[in-house]
Amino acid sequence: MAVPGPAPNAARRGVLVIPAYNEAARLPALLAGIAAQALPLEIAVVDDGSSDGTREVAARAGATVLRHPFNLGYGAGLQTGYKYALASGAPWVVQMDADGQHDPRDIARLLEPIRAGACDLVIGSRFLEPTGYRMDPLRQLGRRFFVALARGFGFRVTDPTSGFQALGRRVLELYVGDAFPSDYPDVDVLLTAHRHGLVVREISVEMHAGVRASTLHGGMKSVWYLYKMMLSLWASSSRVTRS
Amino acid sequence: MNPNLTPAQLRELFLDNPDLEATRWLALSISVLLIAVVLLLVRKRALREEYTPIWVAVSATLVFVSLRLDLLRELTRAIGAWTPSSTVFFLGELFLVAICLNYAVRLSRAGTQLKNLAQELAILNARVDALAPRNSPAPSAEAGA
Repeated sequence: MAVPGPAPNAARRGVLVIPAYNEAARLPALLAGIAAQALPLEIAVVDDGSSDGTREVAARAGATVLRHPFNLGYGAGLQTGYKYALASGAPWVVQMDADGQHDPRDIARLLEPIRAGACDLVIGSRFLEPTGYRMDPLRQLGRRFFVALARGFGFRVTDPTSGFQALGRRVLELYVGDAFPSDYPDVDVLLTAHRHGLVVREISVEMHAGVRASTLHGGMKSVWYLYKMMLSLWASSSRVTRS
Repeated sequence: MNPNLTPAQLRELFLDNPDLEATRWLALSISVLLIAVVLLLVRKRALREEYTPIWVAVSATLVFVSLRLDLLRELTRAIGAWTPSSTVFFLGELFLVAICLNYAVRLSRAGTQLKNLAQELAILNARVDALAPRNSPAPSAEAGA
């Protein structure tokens, strides 16, 4: 897809992408925490059609606001950030959730391997080392299932649903395609990156309980998630095989 | 009806039933009405020309079948159905499944295009905001749209 070219004075610094939907209450603390790290990055909050003033809160904090005219989904929000970063000439992107479950102090550690050119994608994992993070049994079962499934494809990952990641340009170029899911980009897109020969690493991070984790909660939503992820895994692996 | 008929004889009885003129005229009327509705929708710009061939083809098929009910009977024999009306329902259902799948594909494509447009709009609006003086109020996304 064609994305608008770089802005006239676009600096070649990284972009921190924060997809947000009705997060006006939690954003100020998160943005203040990020500002305290004094990192060389542009903060881009993707307001996914919020109705609670998320856009104004983010703009007041000095963030670039990418506002969807209507709700498109978490994955589409991330992708808007990737497209913006690519168009701005950003060398890398860090993505984190707006609900405060990710710690801004981990951003620099997450970025190190990318900036060193050691890999293309870094996942902040809750399970690489014991961190005391508690996950309810059903979600834990789902996570183990997808970890095992990814291993079946020759891809070793401990936290495939982590939304805390650092991505290099090669990953961004892959993720701005139309195959990137609009709802939950989890193990399926990680596997796509792996199968395209991109180097994926994990580092251990601390996380607090958040709201996005609801994708693996009980009920019909988890059944839909399981179905959709299986189909997406099959489709993405067959696409790579064909290409 | 003779209760000693075998299923095969019973089927032949159904198939050899004489055509009803009323059925023929009903089918013809529906075909003509369908074509008229399609043309009306195109004239009112409620239906784009590129979506009309399938409905014109359906109407033409209905007209043809109405005029040649004997062919429908032969088709019924060929596919092993008992009555021409079963054949019509069977083909109608196949058509509806095919058309639903076709529209699901079109809807998926339109959804992706809509998402891409919304994303480009968000990026362009951010660019406009960045170019605008800091103290002026930022235009809303709705206004930008």
